[in-house]
Amino acid sequence: MRPRKSGYLFIAPYVVLLVVAGIYPMAYALHLALTSLTAHFSGARNFIKSWQDPEFLPAFEHIGIFLAIWLTALVVLVVGLSLILHSLDRRISAAFRFVFYLPAALAGSASVMLWLFMLEPGVSPWTFVLHWLGYGTLGDSIAERNLPVIFAVIAFWSGAGSWIVVMYGALATIPHGVLEAARLDGAGPWRTATRIKLPLIKRWVAYMLIGAFAAGTQLFAEPQLISEATGGILNQTWSPNQLAYFLSFQLDNFNYAAAIAVDLLAIALISAAVVLLRTGLFRVSD
Amino acid sequence: MRALAERFRRASATQVMALSVLSLMAVFFAVPIVWAVFEAIGGTALHWLLNSAFYSTAGAAIAVALCIPAGYGLATHDFPGRRAVLIVTILVMLIPPNALVLPLFLEAHAAHLLTSPLAVILPYGLYPFGVYLAYLYFNTGRFELLLQTARMDGCSEWHVFKRIVLPLSLPVSALIAFLNFVASWTNFFLPWVMYWSFDTTSRYPLALGIALQLDTTKGASFYGALIQLHTASSPSYIALLLLVTCAPVLIVFALAQRWIGSSQLQGVFR
Repeated sequence: MRPRKSGYLFIAPYVVLLVVAGIYPMAYALHLALTSLTAHFSGARNFIKSWQDPEFLPAFEHIGIFLAIWLTALVVLVVGLSLILHSLDRRISAAFRFVFYLPAALAGSASVMLWLFMLEPGVSPWTFVLHWLGYGTLGDSIAERNLPVIFAVIAFWSGAGSWIVVMYGALATIPHGVLEAARLDGAGPWRTATRIKLPLIKRWVAYMLIGAFAAGTQLFAEPQLISEATGGILNQTWSPNQLAYFLSFQLDNFNYAAAIAVDLLAIALISAAVVLLRTGLFRVSD
Repeated sequence: MRALAERFRRASATQVMALSVLSLMAVFFAVPIVWAVFEAIGGTALHWLLNSAFYSTAGAAIAVALCIPAGYGLATHDFPGRRAVLIVTILVMLIPPNALVLPLFLEAHAAHLLTSPLAVILPYGLYPFGVYLAYLYFNTGRFELLLQTARMDGCSEWHVFKRIVLPLSLPVSALIAFLNFVASWTNFFLPWVMYWSFDTTSRYPLALGIALQLDTTKGASFYGALIQLHTASSPSYIALLLLVTCAPVLIVFALAQRWIGSSQLQGVFR
């Protein structure tokens, strides 16, 4: 017999904040997106207008290229590194996990700042690499065609460590007996990794991919700061979030900006729903 | 907190004496180092650092204060709407925080809360992931049994929460506080939209202060080509700011890695 009514008291404060800082802002953005500047209901007009904006498609194209590079790097390297770490002695792998996690401690703007120095041939410890690539100035290394790769490198540098911690945690749940049985059956480290461990952590890989996809569409700090660093030479509406921010501040068109915010929210919500319904990683009942 | 206060009340006078002596000595040992750090950072950036500490600590305090009761309520009480709250919690937790920033900005604008500290602290305090962690933590058969025993012994709901749930929640509270603190400490987009365009540098967290070091006026040369990085202060000073930014997170992570790392995260998943 579990108590009932008092449950409301325990969750009430949280639910209030969930509404104030979560559900209400989403609803309000949707409301703004569906109204015109003169506060009349305007249906899908803001959405259609935003899709036709000359900056809209390019912003999503940029993000698409960035995502393709970043997600490939995540799958190959995070899964690969986690499998290698898992086959090592526990203490050695803990040390490596700590080093890989280090960059996660830097704020979004701090990691971009750091990478601007890494890409500036005058101060970078990687100058020889930059020269080898033919980049003599910062302008060369952050040329527009390099941006998706640069953002993927920064995102991977600051985010992969956390995913490695998660993936390693997933590998650690594999019962010892399973691995022992594989070893007795004559499976080498490579076979064990690809035939036994990998299928067992498939769901976590899917979770990482969808989560990283949703987070990647939200890119803001990196392109915004590179744009600041170049004094605005570089596109100020490189990513969709930048475009929405630009519209609401420079053009003061909140309804228009809200439409883009809702587009991005829809991508995030659909991704979240897919993770919840398809990966079976999160439980909602006992 | 109540449990802690209780423990203090029971502590004898000698223990209080011992604690005060230790605290005094801790001040003696730590102050010179703190001074060196503060002196190296200097005026404005120190202000940003304290802002960061204030926003993140306040956010983490709200998060823990809301997550523990909510997780406990969801895990051990049966009430209509429980499943719905849980599903919304997981959905919001799976949405990248950046997706909520513009909606939050629009809301803060309508509520005239832009440039107020509340505009960042309240969103920081909303931590569905923490609720889910607490929910999993309390959702075990062993815990259920403990609660039933207490109730059969005549413990009131409030007493159960105060005497059993709160003291037992310390490990998960620490985990929630740490993860939430790191998330707010490294957040950039939310304070950016709330403060950047309004000349409120006095409200900046360190993450924005660092961005301010990019000297935009000198960035563009006449030829439209960027020859080198121009910053408002020297690279060595910026490097110092970057080190200070990552210090608190690294110290806690290094101290508690075993505990924050894989074993705790495993429990998140089924």
